[in-house]
Amino acid sequence: MADLWANLPPLAQDILFALLLFCPGLIAGAVVLRGLRPLPLVGAMLRRFAPVNLLFVALIAVSVGLGVGLLAQERGLRQGSAQAAEKFDLIVAAPGSEVTVMLAAVYLQASDMALVTGPQYAEIAGAKGVALAAPIAFGDSHLGAPVVGTTTDFVTHLAGPLAEGRLFATASEAVAGAFAPVTVGETFSPAHGHGAAAEGDAHAGFGYMVTGRMAPTGSPWDRAILVPVEGVWQVHGLSNGHPPGETQIGPPFAPDLMPGTPAVLVHATELWANYALKSQFTRGDLMAFFPGTVLSQLHGLMGDIRTAMSVMAVLTQVLVTLSVVIGLVILVRLIARSLALLRAIGAPLRFVFAVVWAYSAALIVTGAGLGLALGWVAARAISGVITARTDVLVRAALSWPEVHLVAGFVSLTLILALLPGWLAVRRPLLADLRN
Amino acid sequence: MATPALLVEGLRVISREGQVLVQVDRLAVPAGQTVALRGASGAGKSTLLHALSGLVRPTAGRVVWGGHDIAGLTEDARAAFRRQTLGLIFQDCHLFEELSAQGNAALISAFAPRADRAALRDGAAQWLAALGLGKAGSRAVDSFSGGERQRIAVARALAAGPPVILADEPTAALDRTNADTLGADLVALAAAGGRTLITVTHDAPLAARMARTITLADGRIVEDSHG
Repeated sequence: MADLWANLPPLAQDILFALLLFCPGLIAGAVVLRGLRPLPLVGAMLRRFAPVNLLFVALIAVSVGLGVGLLAQERGLRQGSAQAAEKFDLIVAAPGSEVTVMLAAVYLQASDMALVTGPQYAEIAGAKGVALAAPIAFGDSHLGAPVVGTTTDFVTHLAGPLAEGRLFATASEAVAGAFAPVTVGETFSPAHGHGAAAEGDAHAGFGYMVTGRMAPTGSPWDRAILVPVEGVWQVHGLSNGHPPGETQIGPPFAPDLMPGTPAVLVHATELWANYALKSQFTRGDLMAFFPGTVLSQLHGLMGDIRTAMSVMAVLTQVLVTLSVVIGLVILVRLIARSLALLRAIGAPLRFVFAVVWAYSAALIVTGAGLGLALGWVAARAISGVITARTDVLVRAALSWPEVHLVAGFVSLTLILALLPGWLAVRRPLLADLRN
Repeated sequence: MATPALLVEGLRVISREGQVLVQVDRLAVPAGQTVALRGASGAGKSTLLHALSGLVRPTAGRVVWGGHDIAGLTEDARAAFRRQTLGLIFQDCHLFEELSAQGNAALISAFAPRADRAALRDGAAQWLAALGLGKAGSRAVDSFSGGERQRIAVARALAAGPPVILADEPTAALDRTNADTLGADLVALAAAGGRTLITVTHDAPLAARMARTITLADGRIVEDSHG
């Protein structure tokens, strides 16, 4: 059986699992409602106490929405951060914190870092199996967007063909990220540093002209401005990696004339070569790491938090489920007189039971359905905020885990809704009829 | 269904607190008779009516309708008996406010066997028409006057064509004119169908329309007069 399950396609597993979760509730409904027609009365009761019923549906919707939104958001954030790191196969930097380097190189979070020297860079670029060794140099910004020094090969590696214009061809040209706050043809002077501490006029007199714009990458690089690494070195009064008088940009760099770079992105000719290069450059004076692995470790660490959040979400749903059942028991008191009338004029107890259960089911299913929609809307809204703030493209969409959560909640609650039905038929008929 | 005669023997209804609510040694009501149950408040009239309908399970004794003692039946069996044999009318109508007049009159069809539902809906429509509400069947009941609402309740009681009508103060909430109209309707409907009609009432004109008046005090029958 386990083998059969394992051999099913993931989609079939998800659909079957959802159906399995729904099954107890559906079976309960089929058994309770078989041969009966309580819906007109249920509709009348829903209309009769519309404000209370709407409040009850809203409470269920909000609680389900929170659970759904939490799951969708967490997954969207995880996938978005992983996608942003996708193009960064291997990073080589001076020894230090892999996380710090990853945050700086992949997510463009400004940080002070030791430099990879010119000779070290030359060794990396010349190593067997290296297809691309792009220096990544930070330090400047423009209108809040980081100005990053690199090579044209890296621009193409990161975003593919440009969406607009051409690649930079001189040290004073730039390519804008998809959403960077500059236009093609514009010339700007970079500020030294980032954020509030940036010195706006530190590089006065030096200007970059924007010659092209990258296609969106779904990463913080979309808001960056990419310039030749030579430009970054020059603007800081350093040699530009080439003999004086040469106007060449990009590799090869003269090792002795290269001021150094905080990080080098390495892309290997073959997948297996990445592992060899990592091993080769993991040593006393350098460190090499896969950002995907570091991110995975971070997700693993955060996995404990995620598990805690998931447990909290489930516990919340359980508490909400219990609250729903208690609420239904209270709601039954509202309709007790109508139920007593039904019993008085000859309705079988099973019919009265079915009316209460169907009434409860209508509230639960409506609330859960609205909750699913609410969770989707909330996840989309929060994703938009996170994307705007971090430039990590977070796409929180509803997926099977949310369907499973809602299916489990609905099914469990429909089963527990048998309790108010049972309590309803045990109520004193005459007392309810007189009230 | 043939109208069943009623025989009550040794009936005792005692409250949880031990108070004797009804104590009737013997009461026989022939099929088709109209009966008024009278007495002061707390005399046990409604409790007796509830025992006769099976809404209250007697502490002791027998309530025999057409040879069948309902006192010992389960709640579902007593409900089935009420569904098939009795038409109940309450003092304050007990209507579903969000249903139409027709929906209320045909309420019993909601839990009747599928094969009977159409006939019950037709029966309800016919009784509404007979009671002067035929054109208002689709209106929500909250738009009706008190007298009209009680007539809807009567149509509901008669929709399944029960041979026995049990009414608890059916005219108490009505003005004199409506009370007289409803009283006349009830007696006429009972007479036309050969139905037994037993009604609790404080309303002397309504009681006067009945063939028999039984007076209770402290749960006991203290007077039983015919004509």
